[in-house]
Amino acid sequence: MLYSQGEMLEKILLLFCLSSALAENLCRPDASNGYKVRLSIKRALGDEAYVWNQDEMFLFRATLAFAMRNHLSGQDFQVSNILVCDETPRVSFWFIVTSPLDATRPVGKEDVEEAIRKSRSRINSAFLLTDQTLEFIGIIPTLAAPVSPDTPPWLIVFGVVMGSVGAGIIVLLVYPVVHKRLKKDEEEEELEEEEGEEETRRVKTMENGAAGDGAHNLSFTDDERFTQM
Amino acid sequence: MLFLEGVPLFYLELAIGQKMSLGSIGAWTAISPYLGGVGLASVVTSLYLCLYYNIINAWSFWYLFHSFQSVLPWAECPINSNRTGPTEECEKATPTQYFFYRETLNIAPSIEENGGIHGGQALCLLLAWVITYLFIVRGVKSTGKVVYFTATFPYAVLLIYLVRGITLHGAINGVKFMFTPNMEHLADPNTWINAATQIFFSLGLGFGSLIAFASYNHYNNNFERQAIVVSLINSGTSIFASIVTFSIYGFKATVNYESCLERTRVLLLNTFNIAEDNINIDNVFEWIEKLNTTYPEQFAKLNNKLEECDLETELSSAVEGAGLAFIVYSEAIKNMPLPQLWSVLYFLMLLMLGMGSMLGNVTAIITPLRDFKVMSHMSSELFNGLVCVFCLLLGLGFTTTSGNYWFTIFNDYGATFSLLFIVLIEVITVSYIYGLKRFEKDIEDMLGHRPNWYWKIMWSITSPLLLIFLFIIYIVKYINGGTPTYQAWNKELGTSVVTEYPVFGQLFIGLLLVSSISCVPLTALYVFCKKRKLGNHEKREHTVSTVSA
Repeated sequence: MLYSQGEMLEKILLLFCLSSALAENLCRPDASNGYKVRLSIKRALGDEAYVWNQDEMFLFRATLAFAMRNHLSGQDFQVSNILVCDETPRVSFWFIVTSPLDATRPVGKEDVEEAIRKSRSRINSAFLLTDQTLEFIGIIPTLAAPVSPDTPPWLIVFGVVMGSVGAGIIVLLVYPVVHKRLKKDEEEEELEEEEGEEETRRVKTMENGAAGDGAHNLSFTDDERFTQM
Repeated sequence: MLFLEGVPLFYLELAIGQKMSLGSIGAWTAISPYLGGVGLASVVTSLYLCLYYNIINAWSFWYLFHSFQSVLPWAECPINSNRTGPTEECEKATPTQYFFYRETLNIAPSIEENGGIHGGQALCLLLAWVITYLFIVRGVKSTGKVVYFTATFPYAVLLIYLVRGITLHGAINGVKFMFTPNMEHLADPNTWINAATQIFFSLGLGFGSLIAFASYNHYNNNFERQAIVVSLINSGTSIFASIVTFSIYGFKATVNYESCLERTRVLLLNTFNIAEDNINIDNVFEWIEKLNTTYPEQFAKLNNKLEECDLETELSSAVEGAGLAFIVYSEAIKNMPLPQLWSVLYFLMLLMLGMGSMLGNVTAIITPLRDFKVMSHMSSELFNGLVCVFCLLLGLGFTTTSGNYWFTIFNDYGATFSLLFIVLIEVITVSYIYGLKRFEKDIEDMLGHRPNWYWKIMWSITSPLLLIFLFIIYIVKYINGGTPTYQAWNKELGTSVVTEYPVFGQLFIGLLLVSSISCVPLTALYVFCKKRKLGNHEKREHTVSTVSA
């Protein structure tokens, strides 16, 4: 009787040990339901980097529990549900999430991934880190959508430059024509004034008129073919 | 090269232009009727140059307009459609290369595949031609005023860049690299050919633009002094600009080297889970050795991910073609503080220089053509406008997806060989056919004194010999080189691949080379035939008159 009771006790003890060992064995490197986390605190913060210690680890576990609660609403995840192991001086470790209802059962990988994706920015800001410096190996961060304005900015600058150049050309082309017309009006006025005065002036005006009608209007082309040096 | 070739030839061309007061075709016809073809060859070469050079200005405009953004578009890769990471092509290449090849050019994988015109490029090319027209619309007088600005502004920018460049981190590596002579390169005759053609390009010899500009001078203008001063300033500027270029180059190489080291450091940290501040940039190599000895198997797994970081390789890496100015420099600029400002300054400077060159090229075409009676009846505005529109329409071909490869053909083969040939013929013509004595008298007529013995020796002996030597080397190199190749951008690999030109490409190259050179013998033949016909005609008249008498 005593003998079988002893056996029973041993079996119960064994089971007990096994179950607690199992709980610890859930978290190990390359666990099927776990993720590796890597923090690059010095790279992100430089001189203002904080030291990674157990308190920071507690914050991490709490933040992750929050993320799980956020995603699977109704289930009360506790800090004890987040198991951490294999910490290295790099500041990297593995973690695994267990269900609040049964501490031996890990939560599926897809749920953990979804939860982290949802609350990624909250997790990052808790540690003053970014997507690149707080890495969950295997969960690719969703990058921010590129801002694309309706009119590309380069087109605006192009329009401004093209408009001013076009205006410049029009001014350069129109100016001599306008100048010629103004001068012609002035000459006609002078012609009318002078005609009334002397007969001899007529010869001169005829010359002016002839010069003005020629195919090559000498008065308005460059008077010097040779540029001054 | 400058003193043996550059200055004497510069002097020669200015003298011819000033004496004859005609564009290149008229001037050479006046020297010797059989050699009017030299002028024609110059015009053809200038025409090719006009066609493809404004594309560079179009690119400069494109980059300039894209500099007005908070993040320069070539600083980061665009994100792919899943929003999981950068676009594949951009990841394999660098963001600056991606921006140049994909967004600026939208380049095809090879010269055989044609595509549509790139709208943005076409707009920029239009703008470039419109501005060129604006500068030349009133003729040489307006060109002269414009050049005051386009020639001085680049110096100001270069000075600003010099100060900025020297104070950049790692610039001294570049300058040291520039001044250490590389003996292998110096022994290679290719280097000397490139030096000679660079002098020609830089001074504008052989294009006819010098003759065109000099034809507008007063007869007694002292061009001897100007020739020397301009050539020296030109080369001085080149050296000054190289210092700036190499300091920025050194900065870029150092930044790339350091980011390579940084990536290696992170890789080591992550693989071996070492605390962050144990490895820093200075002892990366020591750690590599240490880890290799302590964890050999784990290290071996790393091997394909580990990059070779070498400053020398970074400094020696170069990109082929005109893309160098855009890829290498935009990479350097994106790393500087306040990159938008530096980018705007740099591309404005490139634009000034490019526009200034275009003015010379277009004038080199317009001036000789206006000497013909047919064209001189048109108003100068209309004629200039027609030339610009013609070049614009042909230039649109360079904005297609395979346009950059055609551009490379023009760039490599359009001018170099013809320039050598034209300049050689010029020197021989003036020294031997026109006669050195007649030339001396002309100069004495214009300047008041004869050129001294240095010039005479250069023109008659040294320059022709040197040019013949270079010419022969070039031909030998072309024959020995096998099929000509070009760098085609491979989308999948994200890098340029050396590809051979297809048959039509090689034919086109041959056509380019032959078309400008053949002007000389063809014109000579044409004049010879005309003269013979005229001679026969005179003889017939003579016999008729004797009979009638």
